Amino acid sequence: MRRESTPPGEDYKIRCPRLGHQITFSYCRYENKGLPCFKVLDCWFTHFLVEDFFRKELQPDQWKQAFERPPKTKMLTLVELIQQAKKTQKS
Amino acid sequence: MEVKKIFLPESELPRQWYNILADMPTPMEPPLHPGTGQPVGPDDLAPIFPMALIEQEVSQERYIDIPEEILEKYLFWRPTPLYRAYNLEKYLETPAKIYFKNEGVSPAGSHKPNTALAQAYYNKISGTKRITTETGAGQWGSALSMCCALFGLECKVFMVRISYNQKPYRRIMMETWGANCVASPSSETKAGQTILAQNPDSPGSLGIAISEAVEAAVMDENSKYSLGSVLNHVMLHQTVNGLECQKQMAIAGDYPDVLIGCAGGGSNFAGHVFPFVRDKINGKDMDVIAVEPASCPTMTRGPFAYDFGDTVQMTPLLPMHTLGHGFVPAPIHAGGLRYHGMAPIVSQLILDGLIRPEAVPQLETFQAGITFARTEGFISAPETNHAVAMVIREALKAKEEGKEKVILFNWSGHGLVDMAAYEAYMRGQLSDYALPEDEIHRALDDIASLPKPKQYTRPKI
Repeated sequence: MRRESTPPGEDYKIRCPRLGHQITFSYCRYENKGLPCFKVLDCWFTHFLVEDFFRKELQPDQWKQAFERPPKTKMLTLVELIQQAKKTQKS
Repeated sequence: MEVKKIFLPESELPRQWYNILADMPTPMEPPLHPGTGQPVGPDDLAPIFPMALIEQEVSQERYIDIPEEILEKYLFWRPTPLYRAYNLEKYLETPAKIYFKNEGVSPAGSHKPNTALAQAYYNKISGTKRITTETGAGQWGSALSMCCALFGLECKVFMVRISYNQKPYRRIMMETWGANCVASPSSETKAGQTILAQNPDSPGSLGIAISEAVEAAVMDENSKYSLGSVLNHVMLHQTVNGLECQKQMAIAGDYPDVLIGCAGGGSNFAGHVFPFVRDKINGKDMDVIAVEPASCPTMTRGPFAYDFGDTVQMTPLLPMHTLGHGFVPAPIHAGGLRYHGMAPIVSQLILDGLIRPEAVPQLETFQAGITFARTEGFISAPETNHAVAMVIREALKAKEEGKEKVILFNWSGHGLVDMAAYEAYMRGQLSDYALPEDEIHRALDDIASLPKPKQYTRPKI
């Protein structure tokens, strides 16, 4: 286990439980429209001091947006996406 | 020579799926629409699902007939064999009898075609010409592609671009089955175009891919969307597995004392155990174990409560096991549940004491997977290894107790396109972490003031 404060390089990959294959930290860091993936702290904390890294890297509002937003169920996600697509259709 | 595999003749393929909603001791509470606060109704979902699937989503009928056209195509790989794991038993020196249901023999290599086939059929008879979906590495996308091909449907798969570029084999599988697989974000949807305008080199994400797949379905009257996990109708279709197992165990002359499955979204677990859970509801004594990763203890530690879907806490959603909306313990987060949580039916059955959740650390799962591969030959998908690890625990427990328990588990898929995860384990790149008790308490305090379903009970810690 590496517990360093800097992220591993591009030669270091771990399994992404969402995608189902190996990825580098650079993907997780910007996965959510430029913000980190909401699971990044789960997945990377055993590999380096990922929380410390993002505490320094992100503004407080970015931290909240990335990690403290409420969860969404799949049903809610679908209903919201349907509504969003209908708006797109009308416009 | 002892019987290793128990086959069912094709004539014994189950003719109905089992719907556990008809037998649940505590009726499920409905999901509520985020905008209206009213239960989500057929009209809310009709833009993306055919009515037959929406009806199944809310059906209270105990058994639902499997149409002949689906049965004919289930026969491509079903009934799947039930194995007796003699070599694993011998290795563990356990008196337990270990059986596993091999769902890895489907053309796509996992349990997922059990529902993909049914969804393709109901779309076909509803007039759908094209099904859209999203996928990461491609396990679900490949299952749906194969099943669309069998029913002559077009299949449009939005594959996360980084996966599209890095994992070509399942993409090629999808294309081999005739699917139109595009890298997401794509230029084919407004959602994709918006992202590409901001960043032409975007590697994509599952969130973007879902947006594209739903938009593509809504924008085209001939298209619908398909989902491979969590929802009730998905678990319903998966019960063909457990129903076969009941017949095969009868042939073996055994009945499981312990039933085990891995639980991510819950569908492979549900399909395997629900027919047996019905027996348990009716008085049968057995231990039904849902296994999850120790790093994401959705079921084992979380209370059963409403989660809230917006920042001002005004939209109660599906009741589910959760650690709370603001749960961000350091250094680990309850990440899985922040995505979609465990399937609500599975959560309710845990609450009712019919299913026992257990968590297994990552390293133990891979060690179990390697033990299984070296004794029984099959290389499991990383998720399946959670079930294998729990089987080994229970078999060793039976050894300590000197009991000849019968253990049955779901071998939900092979790991032949997941070898990089095994490599990481064997190179010592993986490690474990246990969630601290004080972080759990903090999470429980966080949701203490939120409304609870009437059957809420505070969990033991």
